[in-house]
Amino acid sequence: MITAVPGALAQTPPASKPAQAGALASYAESLPNSVVKLNMVAIPAGTVTLAGKKVPVKPFWIANTETPWEAYDVFAASGPPSVAYDQTKFAADAIARPSKSYILPDLGWGHHGYPVINVSFLSVTMFCRWLSSATHKKYRVPTEAEWEYACRAGSSAPIKLTKAQAAASSWYADNSDGKTQLVGKKIPNAWKLYDMLGNVGEWATDADGKPVLCGPNFKDKLADLTPTIRRRWEPAWQATDPQLPKSRWWLSDGFFVGFRVVCEP
Amino acid sequence: MTNNSETGAPQTRREFLKTTTVAGAALAASGNYAFAQGSDKLKVALIGCGGRGSGAAADALSADPGVVLTVMADVFKDHLDRSLANLKGEPSVGKRVEVTAENSFIGLDAYQKALATNVDVVLLTTPPGFRPQHIKAAVEAGKHIFAEKPMGTDAAGVRMAYEAAKGAAAKKRAFVAGFCWRYDNPRREFYKRIHEGAIGQVRHIQATYLTGPVKPMPPASTRPAGVSDTEWQIRNWYNFVWLCGDGLIEQACHSVDKILWAMKDEPPLRCVATGGRQIPNNEGNIYDHIDVFYEWPDGVRATMAQRQINCDYNDNSDYIVGSKGHAFIKGWNQLEIHGDAVVKIPGPNRMYRQEHEEFFASIRSGKLIDNSERMWRSTLAGLMGRMAAYTGEEITWEQMLNSKENLFPEHLDWNGKLAIAPMAIPGKNKYV
Repeated sequence: MITAVPGALAQTPPASKPAQAGALASYAESLPNSVVKLNMVAIPAGTVTLAGKKVPVKPFWIANTETPWEAYDVFAASGPPSVAYDQTKFAADAIARPSKSYILPDLGWGHHGYPVINVSFLSVTMFCRWLSSATHKKYRVPTEAEWEYACRAGSSAPIKLTKAQAAASSWYADNSDGKTQLVGKKIPNAWKLYDMLGNVGEWATDADGKPVLCGPNFKDKLADLTPTIRRRWEPAWQATDPQLPKSRWWLSDGFFVGFRVVCEP
Repeated sequence: MTNNSETGAPQTRREFLKTTTVAGAALAASGNYAFAQGSDKLKVALIGCGGRGSGAAADALSADPGVVLTVMADVFKDHLDRSLANLKGEPSVGKRVEVTAENSFIGLDAYQKALATNVDVVLLTTPPGFRPQHIKAAVEAGKHIFAEKPMGTDAAGVRMAYEAAKGAAAKKRAFVAGFCWRYDNPRREFYKRIHEGAIGQVRHIQATYLTGPVKPMPPASTRPAGVSDTEWQIRNWYNFVWLCGDGLIEQACHSVDKILWAMKDEPPLRCVATGGRQIPNNEGNIYDHIDVFYEWPDGVRATMAQRQINCDYNDNSDYIVGSKGHAFIKGWNQLEIHGDAVVKIPGPNRMYRQEHEEFFASIRSGKLIDNSERMWRSTLAGLMGRMAAYTGEEITWEQMLNSKENLFPEHLDWNGKLAIAPMAIPGKNKYV
């Protein structure tokens, strides 16, 4: 049995440890009116290199897993859903809930403990807005820099997983059976963050504030299990949504699209 | 027993021209084969301008560069206006949306006004309770028809629609049914292999459509003043059996259709079913779960599990057991046949576009598609399951052929009173 990821991820000492991260300490966030918790890991300040440029990152917290369905369900049930065919209007500062999905949002791949999939950037933005409102904290999706910094656990060393490392740490093409898998079951990275290099891609914002999907997913091959993988929304992600307008909440073909939250101090 | 022909015989030019309308006559004068060229216009009417109908119109416009949308009809002006704005705003097809105020029709009779125009093609995408009368009227008006699934919400309506539409190709009209999986190429390959014996004889099918509620009924207290019973019910159509048919008919009919597909469209001999409602739904009278157990000759059986309750397990799959292996469609992307060898069928699913591409290609070529037979069978098999669930009786196909069930209101008045039938109680409700 492999108990630690050999090689790049585990052997590279983190630039600094969460325990040394000034005032920040890891915590568990309880979702309102539920028993669901998100484990938020304190991440220290540091720098990450994106496209050859060093980008500073301030301290923040990040969920140790991709957001599972049971957390998203609490949000979806927290108010009336958007009307499916009238989803174009809500106030800029309002919290809107997802419309009913045209398809099975979880595709029958698993629900409790499985990562949220098929969600649009709007959906995850609203989830964060709702969570912030309920907890009086600043939840959002990570910036691209935060995401990659967390994925690398602060290391700037190149990450190239061997097959054994990938098997131990990632859900990817060779072991995922063509679908998402339970979050938090593989070996985490050095900052105890699970599934950063597999299972689902994770929504983030780029330097311009635009949505970008970070990281590999369960369909990606070994060579693509790197923190630099990026994807942008394209019409194919909603190709089989048979409605017009297509859903603003659900990506009918975004079965590899999920998210995890960060919290700003 | 089966009649699953996709296309009718090619028609002669003379036959074709005999049936064309004004636009066709004009083209005939020019000596062209009507519609044969991609540059010829095909005028389309959209009847039912909700999200799916608007999507169907976009698919139609994308399918053929000669398609123009000229007419729209709905009972709600707000739906039509929104749909029109969305379609006009579609980058690739918006320019071919030529609907004017004069060609926008609102009301319960809007479909008749739409059919009275010179359109060649109609897209019937209202709630399914209206489908039978729309299909019948569209056939009588001589239009090519795309009819969204299901074919209706009761046996009488479905029979009326089928009697009107059957032999569509012989009537020189295309009739495409919105049982869209039949236009999904990976699934075509899957069922073709099963029909060819890849898993031997089909012995048992387990189909699931286990999901959450679609459009729950709002409380009666939220009904705005001045909204009639009729409008209130149509606005919330998913919750009323006469309009929606129940979840088994409106949504899980796709799974019933795939059961029949696996069975080469041979209808079941009989079925029993259980069902009910666990989650209160205000004034709505549909169930939130129905499980049907179908039977064919030689002990071949199928189970259809349908649920619209938020739960921790969801599934929309088809599991087929054969005498020499098994096969399954798990979720929407995993198609596997485990016979002598394991065959995994990949491929993108673009069925909504495909069905319109084949629809318009069939009109262009004159090799007209007729899906009326299988649409009728799949819808009636679903209604058979609902009848068994609502009554607690064993229901035979023969009974369904003779069922007098007719849920459409005798007098439907936009401003009138419309009582809501009580939810069915098995053991108390009887076969009709």
